[in-house]
Amino acid sequence: MASGGAGRPWFVGVDIGGTFTDVVLAAQDGDVRVGKVRTTPKDPVAGVVEGLAAVLEAAGVDGSAVGRVAHGTTLATNLVLEARGARIAFATTEGFGDLIRIPRGGGAIAERAETLVSYVQSRPFVDPAMTVEVPERMDARGEPVRELDEAGALRTARRLARLRPEAVAVCLLHSYANDRHEQRLADAWRGLRPEVPIYLSSEISPALREYGRATTTAIAAYVGPAMESYLERLGAGLATVGVRCPVHVMVSSGGVMGLAQVARRAVQTIESGPAAGVVSTQLLASLVGGRDLLSFDMGGTTAKCGLVRDGQAERSYELWVGGPASWSTRQGAALPVRIPVIDLAEVGAGGGSIAWVDDAGALRVGPRSAGADPGPACYGAGGTAPTVTDANVVLGYIDPDRFAGGALRLSTDLAHKAVDSVAEPLSMSTVEAAAAVYEMVTSSMAGAVRMMTVERGLDPRDFVLVSFGGSGPVHVLRIAESFGIGEVVVPAHAGVRSAVGLLGTDLSTDQVQTCLTGSGTNDPGALAATFEQLGRRAAAELGLAEVPAVVATGGEVAGVGCRRMADVRYRGQAHQLVVGVPDGPFDDRMVDRVAAAFFEQYKALYGMGEPGPFEIVHCRLRLERAVPKWTAHPRPVRRRAATTNRHRRAWFEEAGGLVSVPAFDWAALRPGDAFGGPAVVDGADATLVVTPRFEAAVDGWGNVVLSAGGAPGGRGGR
Amino acid sequence: MVDSVRTEVIANALRLVTEEMGVAVVRSSFSTMIQESVEASASILDADGQLVMAGMETVPLHSTSLRCGLRSVIEDYPLEGMRPGDVYVMNDPFRGGIHSNDLLVLKPLFIGGAPRLFTGTLVHVADLGGASSGGLPANVTDFFGEGLLLPPVPLYVAGEESTPVFRILAHNSRMPQNLLGDVRALVAGANVGVARLEQLVERFGAATLEEAVAEILARSERLMAAALGRIPPGRYQGSFRIEDDGSGNGREYEVRTTVEARGDRVEVDLAGTSSQATGIINAAYSQAMAAVMFGLRAGVGLTLPFDEGSFRRVTMHLPWGSLVNPRAPAACNGRIVTATAIIEAISAALATADERLAMAASGIVHIYTVGGTDPEGRLWGFLGVEMGGSGARVGLDGPDAVSAAMFGSGRTTTDVEPLETRYPVLFERSSLWPDSGGPGRWRGGVGTETVVRVLEETTVTVRTDRVRLAPPGLAGGRPGRLGGYAVRRANGQVERLPGKAMNVRLAPGDALIMRTTGGGGVGRPSRRSRAAVRADVRDGLVSASAARRDYGLDDPRG
Repeated sequence: MASGGAGRPWFVGVDIGGTFTDVVLAAQDGDVRVGKVRTTPKDPVAGVVEGLAAVLEAAGVDGSAVGRVAHGTTLATNLVLEARGARIAFATTEGFGDLIRIPRGGGAIAERAETLVSYVQSRPFVDPAMTVEVPERMDARGEPVRELDEAGALRTARRLARLRPEAVAVCLLHSYANDRHEQRLADAWRGLRPEVPIYLSSEISPALREYGRATTTAIAAYVGPAMESYLERLGAGLATVGVRCPVHVMVSSGGVMGLAQVARRAVQTIESGPAAGVVSTQLLASLVGGRDLLSFDMGGTTAKCGLVRDGQAERSYELWVGGPASWSTRQGAALPVRIPVIDLAEVGAGGGSIAWVDDAGALRVGPRSAGADPGPACYGAGGTAPTVTDANVVLGYIDPDRFAGGALRLSTDLAHKAVDSVAEPLSMSTVEAAAAVYEMVTSSMAGAVRMMTVERGLDPRDFVLVSFGGSGPVHVLRIAESFGIGEVVVPAHAGVRSAVGLLGTDLSTDQVQTCLTGSGTNDPGALAATFEQLGRRAAAELGLAEVPAVVATGGEVAGVGCRRMADVRYRGQAHQLVVGVPDGPFDDRMVDRVAAAFFEQYKALYGMGEPGPFEIVHCRLRLERAVPKWTAHPRPVRRRAATTNRHRRAWFEEAGGLVSVPAFDWAALRPGDAFGGPAVVDGADATLVVTPRFEAAVDGWGNVVLSAGGAPGGRGGR
Repeated sequence: MVDSVRTEVIANALRLVTEEMGVAVVRSSFSTMIQESVEASASILDADGQLVMAGMETVPLHSTSLRCGLRSVIEDYPLEGMRPGDVYVMNDPFRGGIHSNDLLVLKPLFIGGAPRLFTGTLVHVADLGGASSGGLPANVTDFFGEGLLLPPVPLYVAGEESTPVFRILAHNSRMPQNLLGDVRALVAGANVGVARLEQLVERFGAATLEEAVAEILARSERLMAAALGRIPPGRYQGSFRIEDDGSGNGREYEVRTTVEARGDRVEVDLAGTSSQATGIINAAYSQAMAAVMFGLRAGVGLTLPFDEGSFRRVTMHLPWGSLVNPRAPAACNGRIVTATAIIEAISAALATADERLAMAASGIVHIYTVGGTDPEGRLWGFLGVEMGGSGARVGLDGPDAVSAAMFGSGRTTTDVEPLETRYPVLFERSSLWPDSGGPGRWRGGVGTETVVRVLEETTVTVRTDRVRLAPPGLAGGRPGRLGGYAVRRANGQVERLPGKAMNVRLAPGDALIMRTTGGGGVGRPSRRSRAAVRADVRDGLVSASAARRDYGLDDPRG
């Protein structure tokens, strides 16, 4: 069923951001049509339907000709960041009711340090008054120490029901080893309150270490109901414009899953939108000669930075959410979520960020955002607060008549008026104030780049910076200059690039299971059975009717790819390395090969790695299923100097302030066109500001490739 | 702009090297203490013994030990004789170490043929002999009861393992395999550090790297100078009492401090502090130095970088032969008691200068070991950590179950599942302990309550302080509630244990009950906002009866 798009030649990508909903429509031949509408925060589906209907109509395509919709959303993230999730009840083993309030394990380091330094404790994520202790206990072998019988389960369910939750999260000790008690409680709950969803840690994250399992399950419950109802409405909304094909939703790991499957795994979408952006950058990796890429995505409310190294987006198996910046591998934030996730840094700065003057008389930008409604003052939708977009209009970077392809006419007067409200108290001219706003937001967005590079000991100058999102190309070259980055790519359809990236994805799912039983044996039979179990789960997640044979051996057959991994450690250790399992049946010799790979990897990491007693702790399996998708085809490149007869005044301090510069029409640029800064390029979905230091050229795919000239800040200066 | 980017890149790269070193140690170690509580410290130092960079997870007590220990290594093995691939190990507390089980490993990085930087790692290893398994003998009276004493010795010579040293270490451990695993983990951390530093030298060039190091330290010094300026110039005195030293001699001890603030620098004199203890609570000089630095920083800014630059603005006097600078062969494994007392004494002194610089006293960390023999006759054991509550500050409640005054690192309580997977124990309870936070306008943080049942014959060692003398409040705030230890026998009978007890025998079915002391409050409880008291009641941190009794709230659930 999920691949039922055969014969229907059009693909749709939908990316909902904080300010705009982007819809792209493409045929397999590579022709991309773009639609951009305002996000409708109260019911995001309305915006999707509106945008899709408009794009289909403009292209003269009937909804029934769409074979696939791929979707990225920030809904789950926003629920957490804005604390708008479900009212959840939390059930855990008796004696452990404070489980989520006492940070545990090595992970919570920075948060604890933060607590020490700031002395500020955040409100517990799970309301203590909404916690119920369950009269049960499993031991580490999965044997009941205290049985939870049906009567006990029912009593617990009744106590939970009295709390009137909108969702229930259950994390019982050692449930990864035996889920019987969690299942029994779920049965009792469903008998009592079938309409209220219950989330079990043994299903959400069946792995050892109760703290991370509990927080992951709690967040799953927190975002679950809203996501489920949203996805249901999305399916119905698409049907109203005649689109009745498989809908695929991007999950945090960068793969996509079917609508029905992802509804039960809503927690996996927590970085869906941002992941789509990094995936779109990954598509460019082969075009830049193997260089590593920095993916910089700036929309209306946030800026995100990710890394693509050796052609692959960097991933991690844990994400920390709810802190000042979502940042997967560093624990600056509040709660760990154990899901496979594309690694990225996110800061709250975008086109909608509001500028203000603080009590000390200093100019500040953000973190408040005008969002989609009312939006920046220049939208004329009732907003009066000066935003970054208003500043960009004042500076001449954004052409008010060509914004969003002319679909939304901006008001220069309202933009000036809004910026004046901060210019006056600062005794600055309007343009000076706008330039200050621009500079501040640029440096704050540079923070996301800094987190992913400088703070990890990586030199940003070793990367090609790829910039997209509605606001990214306005700011990207100043960010590049601040780090001395010499090469920048602004991809075709930059303003809707994440949606374009969605068009190129395959179905995939990641599964994990702890297989440690305390005996420390690496029984190949038991491991093979665990992988088989993971394979069954994965096949179900991808909507496959049968478990593909490739699950037993790894590898790729007929468009289904399976990759197995094992978390291995020396016996006596507590931390593991993730080791790839070679393809082939899981027998005695496979255990030896995994061990050999572990010793080798250990040695590479720690400078020593003698063979010794080892144990396999977790089994991991990633199943991918190729689906018909869009691929870009290059056009012939004819080198020529680009020309335009349009000029407008825009702010370039090094060129003397507000100066008249060439204004190119993005749609008119052809492969091979070249021009230098200062210049602006007006597109239907984004504006590119080319600073005097950069030279631009359009490649065969329509991407604008920018290189710093010999001026200071280019490569080679060290 | 680009040059300042480069300096920042180097500073962050060095920080990342220390973090990567720490991760390497934690992830490759065998000791539960390290694996679960992340007590692995990693630092970069220079050939003058200056502390260049300490990892974010690194406890100041540890990085200061590496700083002092490296100077002793260089004394015994002059730089001229060192070769690439050398690795040194030591633990001597009277030469920069801490106590027997905290091993220091140091490795030089050669630039232009000479050792210029060092990487150092330090962990509490599995076992190195002494009177109780796990290295925390609570009742011994000299160093020799604590375990093997190790002067600086080469562990690797020019990349070759020194087999005799490894054999001596293994021979002195109850758990030789785990010990050797931990020692190799320390070396792994030092190796990773040197390898990464070599990459940095290649990338930036030696001269640029060394210039950046100098600038980083100079910048820290400037920041420290500015922060110390927050203390109004003057002489301030403070003291803190310690309830006992574990030897059973019935004595209390006291740390006294005089803080003399002179604008951009400070002098701290610990004269008047009790002479060294018979029991385990002596703080070797590196530990006292770290505590002084931590105490000052807790007052003026914990976010300040902790490196040589900040040391340059502080002069210390640690009386020889006292609790804070003991002579050999003093027992030192309980040094945390005295180190935290130094922090509290400095805080008390700062309170007399400006209450906003102070914090009320905290419940300290409760460390315990549980061990036994498995059916095959092998010894097993783990070391557990439970956190007390932190003292409140003006305007801020004390964090719950964090022990702010302890280390300034983010040490955490352990997940119980991994422990139960490996050892014959079953945790019956692990929760916050209501009403343990000292009442005040700003409430002290609450401690925890933990019950662990043993399933086989087991011996248990506990070791803490502030279970008889409560951590006092500040400015009308009340002390934190006293925690403590008890054993619940299988027949239900409960026996109270002292705060420092060694090798207590538990039979299958017996349980160890641990409650950690809460932090002191600040300001009169009657002045606490009623909404805050009600929120505490609702969150289960304060009981309804305590809300009435301590805060005078008539309708706690209103």
